[in-house]
Amino acid sequence: MSNIPTDTGKNISRRNLLKRGAAAGFGAGLPLFNINHAWSQDVYYDGQVFDAGGATLNVGEWGGFWQEFVTANLLDQFQKDFNCKISYDSSWPWFPKFVAGGVEKPVYDIANWNLPDMFKTARAGDFFLKKDELISNIPNAKDCWDFAFENGIGVTWGYGQYAYAYRTDIANPAPTDFKSFWQDQYGGGKRGTYITSNTLQMEFFMTASHVFGGDTKNIDAGYEAMRAAVPMKISDFTGNMQTLIERGEVNICVQWEGEIYNQVDKGVPVAAMVWQELKPILTQTKTISRYSEPLQKRLALALLDRTLDPAYAQKFAETFYMRPTNGKAVIPPNLASKGVVNTADATNGLVTMDWNWYLDNEDDIVETVNGIFSA
Amino acid sequence: MAKVATSAELRVASQRRWSERAIPISIQIGAWVSFVILLLPVAVVVLAGLNSGDYLTFPPEGLSLRWVIAFLTSPAWMGAYGFSMALALVTMVISTVLGTAAAIVLSRYRFRGRDMLRAYFLSPLILPGVVLGLALYVFYVVTDIGLAKSMTGLVIGHVLVTCPYVIGTVSAALVAFDVSLEEAARSLGASPWTAFRRITVPNISAGVAAGATFAFIVSFGQFDVSLFLSTPNLTPLPIALYVSLRYTFEPTAAAAGIFAIILVVVSMLITSRLVSLRKFGGIKFS
Repeated sequence: MSNIPTDTGKNISRRNLLKRGAAAGFGAGLPLFNINHAWSQDVYYDGQVFDAGGATLNVGEWGGFWQEFVTANLLDQFQKDFNCKISYDSSWPWFPKFVAGGVEKPVYDIANWNLPDMFKTARAGDFFLKKDELISNIPNAKDCWDFAFENGIGVTWGYGQYAYAYRTDIANPAPTDFKSFWQDQYGGGKRGTYITSNTLQMEFFMTASHVFGGDTKNIDAGYEAMRAAVPMKISDFTGNMQTLIERGEVNICVQWEGEIYNQVDKGVPVAAMVWQELKPILTQTKTISRYSEPLQKRLALALLDRTLDPAYAQKFAETFYMRPTNGKAVIPPNLASKGVVNTADATNGLVTMDWNWYLDNEDDIVETVNGIFSA
Repeated sequence: MAKVATSAELRVASQRRWSERAIPISIQIGAWVSFVILLLPVAVVVLAGLNSGDYLTFPPEGLSLRWVIAFLTSPAWMGAYGFSMALALVTMVISTVLGTAAAIVLSRYRFRGRDMLRAYFLSPLILPGVVLGLALYVFYVVTDIGLAKSMTGLVIGHVLVTCPYVIGTVSAALVAFDVSLEEAARSLGASPWTAFRRITVPNISAGVAAGATFAFIVSFGQFDVSLFLSTPNLTPLPIALYVSLRYTFEPTAAAAGIFAIILVVVSMLITSRLVSLRKFGGIKFS
């Protein structure tokens, strides 16, 4: 049974909690809200396969090659094992769809996110199960590193550290720290970053604020760092940035490590300088909708559990150069050869940015940084 | 044996030369600049799709068919292409029927609010596609009538976007149509339906065909509305292209673009073959 820890140390079931809340609301003259609705039932998952009777699970996740991989390596077998159908929607963004439907009509039972949009959606309503509700129903969670749950909303199942990609045949000396990006050798537009709506630029900005101003929230230091870095090539996507550095249009750029290792294995003369002063991470995080029907919610928990499975995580890492958050997953040779290990030490100091703060200040940051980039 | 031009052919050729000379040089230059501007992106897409490198770049690193083959052998890409084509065909048929009917009513009947109704019909052209897509999505979800994330809901969205093109082209054809021809048929005993079918339809067929072609092409390339209304497991080609650019940036997207261009060109050729587009616009209306 899904239990919610209380301050008194006792555990009460969610059904009882809802009933108590509803009773309190009734006593206060408020209407009884949906206490008998299906979603108010307790949902639990113990790791065992069950028969879903052909039910449909609505999944929101990235498309293209990603979808092909996930379908072939995870979803096909999942559908057979659980006798269910996966309705896979890749037409991102999810945020407006969740908000349009409202909390009680979630568009997806389980959704994959980058963090800014996930936080934005969570701020708009009580859409998702909370961390504790997830952990207690995902057997594989016990093997995951703590930072996988640090965001408090979803479960991070894959990640990569942010880094600089630089040209090994041009950079002299090679970058050694975060501030190397501002060296004169990369002047004249040979630095690359992203548009302000890209998570990589958000992370870059906050890390620059931290390194130059002592705090990720010191936005004035961040603005000054951006001013000092222009002119820069501004890219929309990481794939486009890979092209720019391969063609020598930039000699150093903001990137996450997986994309760099991928290029290294293709023989492109680039290397990664992983940020050490602050260790923000690019994450793939899954949420489960609080108000999905109980059967779908149970299926979603089962799918999330399978996503965290060490064998699947290893295959994923092999294909996408993304580190697993499950401590039992084996790092494949393509990552191990770059020095990537899956140990407690390796995950020490990984940072999940304060996205609520960023979203509070997003308008100001976007307007100012766009002004700096276009100056 | 060399063909000897008839006097009629010589007269037509002479008229054409005079007609070309009559166009001011500035307009001719403008026309050629327009052609180049329109054709350049097409050339870029084709060359990028034939790139031998790993990323979607221009100029290409070398020429290769690897991404064209990747497109043709990818179930995801071919599925998206086939789905977009089927969706565009369904949309075209519905939009052509509804748009033609609407154009006839708007052109033939005088009633209060006609201009407002015409503007209303054309409003999807003015509204940004993203706004229209989101508005429809919210409407489907709030009303809970089973259209959200459904094929029917997606088709409705595409019909809304494409119908104005049919209304526009058919209305233009109807303006140039001499109603007295239909009246003559009626006076000779034809029923209203027979007169419409045998007199009106053949005379406005060029406008209808042009509208249908536009509807097909616009639906096939529709992104904004599809982004919000597309159905799970069925991804239209423009969404698949967006996803590809977002995550892999491979030239497969440009290879897919080549086939999209081919489809559009072929549909235009078929249309012009079936109904001479020269008729449309009142150049030669017989």
